[in-house]
Amino acid sequence: MKKVRALLQASVLASLILTACAGPAAPTAAPSEGTTAPATEPTTAPATGGDTEPSELRIAWGQDPDTLNPAYSFLAVSYTVFDLMYSSLVKEGPNGEYYGDLAETWEVSDDGLTWTYTLRPNIVFHDGTPLVAEDVAWIINTIKDDPEGWAALNSYTAGFVEATAPDAGTVVITTDYPISNMNYRVSVLYAVKRADFEGFASAEELQNFTNAEGIGTGAYKLVTYDTDQGVVIMEANADFYAGAPAIDRLIFQTFDSGDAQVQAFRAGDVDLLYDVPSTAVETVRGIAGTTVVQRPTRGFTELIVNATLPDNDPAPTGNPALADLAVRQAMSHAINKQDIVDIVWQGLARPEWSIIAPAFSGGFYHNDSITDHAFSLDSAREVLDAAGWVPSSDGVREKDGMRLEFRLEFDADSDSYPRIADLIATNFREVGMEATPAAVDSDTLIARTTGVGDFDLVIWGWGGSDPDPDFMLSIMTCGQFVSGGWSDSGYCNEEYDMLYAEQQAALDPAERQRIIHEMQALLFRDLPYIVLTNEDSVQAYRSDLFTGFPDYTADSTYGLGLTDAYVLRQAQPVP
Amino acid sequence: MTRTDVILRKFALAAVTIAVVVLLNFILFRVLPGDPVRAVIGRGVRISAETQAALRVQFGLDKPVFPDQFIDTLGQWAQGNLGVSWSQRRPVAEVLVAKLGNTLLLITAGQLLSIILGVGLGLLAGWRRKTALDVGALTFSLITWATPTFWLGIILLVAGSAWLGLPTAGSRDPGNVGKPMLEVLPDIAEHLILPTLTFTLVYLGQYMLIMRSSVLEVLSEDYILTAKAKGLTVWQTLTRHALKNALLPVVTLIALNLGFTVAGAIYIETVFSYDGLGRLFQEALNRQDYPLLQGAFLLLAVAVVGSNLLADLIYAYLDPRVKTT
Repeated sequence: MKKVRALLQASVLASLILTACAGPAAPTAAPSEGTTAPATEPTTAPATGGDTEPSELRIAWGQDPDTLNPAYSFLAVSYTVFDLMYSSLVKEGPNGEYYGDLAETWEVSDDGLTWTYTLRPNIVFHDGTPLVAEDVAWIINTIKDDPEGWAALNSYTAGFVEATAPDAGTVVITTDYPISNMNYRVSVLYAVKRADFEGFASAEELQNFTNAEGIGTGAYKLVTYDTDQGVVIMEANADFYAGAPAIDRLIFQTFDSGDAQVQAFRAGDVDLLYDVPSTAVETVRGIAGTTVVQRPTRGFTELIVNATLPDNDPAPTGNPALADLAVRQAMSHAINKQDIVDIVWQGLARPEWSIIAPAFSGGFYHNDSITDHAFSLDSAREVLDAAGWVPSSDGVREKDGMRLEFRLEFDADSDSYPRIADLIATNFREVGMEATPAAVDSDTLIARTTGVGDFDLVIWGWGGSDPDPDFMLSIMTCGQFVSGGWSDSGYCNEEYDMLYAEQQAALDPAERQRIIHEMQALLFRDLPYIVLTNEDSVQAYRSDLFTGFPDYTADSTYGLGLTDAYVLRQAQPVP
Repeated sequence: MTRTDVILRKFALAAVTIAVVVLLNFILFRVLPGDPVRAVIGRGVRISAETQAALRVQFGLDKPVFPDQFIDTLGQWAQGNLGVSWSQRRPVAEVLVAKLGNTLLLITAGQLLSIILGVGLGLLAGWRRKTALDVGALTFSLITWATPTFWLGIILLVAGSAWLGLPTAGSRDPGNVGKPMLEVLPDIAEHLILPTLTFTLVYLGQYMLIMRSSVLEVLSEDYILTAKAKGLTVWQTLTRHALKNALLPVVTLIALNLGFTVAGAIYIETVFSYDGLGRLFQEALNRQDYPLLQGAFLLLAVAVVGSNLLADLIYAYLDPRVKTT
């Protein structure tokens, strides 16, 4: 999940794993954690009857699945396919709520430790065999008990005691402690066909299985998966519990170049662009019969400030001046985030200050009571003056033998970060801080940040693919600042860690919201990250050929992308 | 030294070269900064430090590079097993073979066309020196040679798909995926047109320029004068005396190109989303997939060294003087 490249950020992200973004409005819809009824019953567009030509939606994407084996799949595109072919107990709906997929209803016990799911009747696999509760319990236990084999999904079962099937229509999951994001967790525990995943002798053998003929119970059946060509073909499942989807065939085709994608779209070779390159958005808007969908993602770009504690092993190499809060505040004042939006992201982003973007659950978790430091070079100078940082003869401020000179590094693969670095360095220079931009390859950056603290300032970004805020919050906990962990700032605050544990167990959404707001306030106070911008994702489809897609302009909080299973089930060909 | 000795020595030298390349590659990939486990899972789902450690053990990365990892790798190769790709989780040999076919198709078609057209054009230009034909051919070759491959590809892609309705991506239509090759030949051919055209244009210039200067040189030799004096026609002079000698540098170039174009088609494959080796190399490098990288570079080394060896042998045939050296 770590560090997606800048260009990807602007485009791919919202369509990443388990997509759910939502605009900043309507924070009233709390995620329906622990409720008994599904939030919304998905409807399926009526299939067009008769002997008409089968309808076909051709989708262009920039990357093909690494494997269709959910045990070892790490790419977002694979999860798009999983959600189409597999059902899970619940799935994420348009506005951060969860609807019952296999489960008709579900409830949690008063102590928060027992979750009971009542399954829909008559669910059948693509091969015609019925799905029973035991199948679901089996896969959940299998994922839980085989952390090495089910590498990609195992962490979602952390804290599970076991899953049982007291009868053919009920699944019960017991947990060690109350789990606040249970709905999100079970939404990726796919009900695979047991026979497909049984009998592997080792983790390696299980992971080498590509599952190219996978069988599920989802709205679409997998027909073809060709790893060499990067082609996935799916067909409507006539036995789907909500009826067959109206589009008969989905063809996913891989394009290595963004320009080729746009040309294929223009030439009519494909009908839907999974992610439009930010440089091509205006071109695509100009193609007749096209609807462009622009949605805020949960991803963001940040300036990482070295907050590693001095007693860390190995000793951090960051400029000790960064420990002065005034310096970090001055930096936050001095950076013109709107410039970054306009110049680097071409308007496809907004200035942001929090690691929990407004797109999490329709704005529910974003702390709106905080106002970002206003961009003001004067304010930045005042803060530095007040803290005793005095300009030296060369203009760089000094205090007690320390100088405000910093390394400003960024991922060399990005073509956006160098420009952000230039803008920041220019801003800094005007207030008496010297930042020297340098491109570094991402592996080296990971090695020098996580657990080490060998840097001053780093520009980087997070994809925000998890629809639940838990992961994003976890990267600021003390325990993650180890090699192989996710913390790169070195931030460590016991109070924050305590709140992090509390929100994990807060089953009441309002309570969890309060805690997460408080955590954001702590991060904004201490500034281990100076968050810069929150980026948009852009997709496009041929609205002259296909209809029934949501009106994204009317509902700015609509969080699912065009290829989400829930959305594709409502789409239909224009008659 | 007999001719057999020379050939045997060349084979031995080639084998040593490949061995050195293998060793170098093994070391080079491992001194790359970063963690392959991180690179493989990199963009995906959260994964615990314990599971990362387990994968490291599975990949053999917990052992020291020398001698353990190296000996493991050599042992595997000795059994004819290139290992399993970490990112694709398929046998490396299977992945390579699947991509090699497509790349060979593209390269063979592209090289043949560029050689025929380039050599032909060079011969004509050299023969008709300082005429409009020569200037035209020279200008054309210089321009196509200097044009960035990627850019030329995009232009041809846009033009070809918009005006001729040619496909924009892949080596066959998604609907034909998985069908036997013979059944979908027209489709495969259609998908080859634009990549091959790009390839031809990019490589044609080199052949033309080399051939032209080579022809000019040969035409100034005394034996050409003799041939003319004997009363041979221009055509006879060109084909019997000039061509064979003028071809020597071109053969060198062809051999060098053949080896490198296995990987050199990377730009073209990327523009046309053509699933060949070039694309695979890039992906393997991005994801630090050592087994796949090692397999791919072994293939590349064999291709480069092999085609050089081939050039040597052809040389010996074309130029009798080479035989005894």
